[in-house]
Amino acid sequence: MSAVSMMTRLVLLALCAVAMLQASPSLAQQATEVHLTYSKGQFQPSQVSAPADKPITFRVKNLDAKAMEFESTSLRVEKVVAANSEGIINVRALKPGRYEFYDDFNEKARGALTVQ
Amino acid sequence: MALCATACLSFLGCANARAEDASSWRELETKYIFGFTTGSGIGLEGEKEFTVDTIGRFGKRDGHYAATETKYEFEFTPSQFIQIEFGALGSTHDIHGVTGLDDRSQFAFAGGFAEFRYLAIERTSNNPLSVTVAFEPNVRLIDETSGERVHNYEFETTVNADIELLKNRLYAGFNLLYEPEVTWTALDQTVREATVGGSAALSLRLMSNVVLGGEIWYLRHYDSPTLTAFTGDAVMLGPTLYIRFTPKMFMTAAWNTQVWGREVGNPVSLNLAEFQRHRARLKFAWEF
Repeated sequence: MSAVSMMTRLVLLALCAVAMLQASPSLAQQATEVHLTYSKGQFQPSQVSAPADKPITFRVKNLDAKAMEFESTSLRVEKVVAANSEGIINVRALKPGRYEFYDDFNEKARGALTVQ
Repeated sequence: MALCATACLSFLGCANARAEDASSWRELETKYIFGFTTGSGIGLEGEKEFTVDTIGRFGKRDGHYAATETKYEFEFTPSQFIQIEFGALGSTHDIHGVTGLDDRSQFAFAGGFAEFRYLAIERTSNNPLSVTVAFEPNVRLIDETSGERVHNYEFETTVNADIELLKNRLYAGFNLLYEPEVTWTALDQTVREATVGGSAALSLRLMSNVVLGGEIWYLRHYDSPTLTAFTGDAVMLGPTLYIRFTPKMFMTAAWNTQVWGREVGNPVSLNLAEFQRHRARLKFAWEF
């Protein structure tokens, strides 16, 4: 088997594994929706909450005239939301705790999700 | 000397760190803050990254020995638990007068690799521990040590764990490594070997974008993937540095020196047959 063929098989194997793992039961549950507005470089509200062990869908409406990037290290998501549009970010079911989020383009725009 | 440098910089850092309020800092992605030790981070879903990651190895028992291997790497995070990386390998060898190795000065395309990382235990505000399991198959056309043309297949398996000891400030990292490989040389010889080891690292976040630390590695080499033919071991020690220049660009650097080692059947200090006197890592990454 050539080196290229072996690498191709490994990549295909990995993609299959990802597809199987992504089809996890938790994503089939009804997600809790969290609505956020981004205006004048700030999240509103900046503190939100959600129940534990249920998937969460963030709906981030960017009212500013420039794009923002919703990002969170602990939630492990990032998504650019264009000016005057809405971004939808799906998050796995979470354990209780505090999860910070921010606009990666704006150091001052921050918020937190409390899961309980 | 490396230890002194680390201690001095750590001292300076502590003084500086007291002046900053770590609670206002963003959470840190830990994958690259420990030098050769890999943290548990797997990136953010939707994130893509291009990196140039060079590891240099310097010093054998005699003569002049300098070799590098560079990964030109694309990595992405397709889900909140998986990270995938792949890319090409380039190598350089500058060897003169080293016993057992041919003299050569060369730059070559050296092969390819892929890496699959799965986050097994995730950190939360109530749990400071995070653990990732990683598998990295490598295919090499150039021998890492000698620079000779070969066909080498390596399957690196690691467990990457880290603990946030102080919120946003102090982190400890731990790796376990099992790296079996098989090599077919140009003379049609088959060489099977394995390296196993573990590491511990401590990293202090001095500023929101600067992390300084130190790490120690213990490595064992076998002439068998089943770990039945032990040939020697070594301890490597040195400082680490991580700097985030912009929200989308960072670098990491590390220097390890072999401080202890032994070769089976050869009563000399250090193990310079399977390992090197020094190794260095320099990595630049661009996220998009």
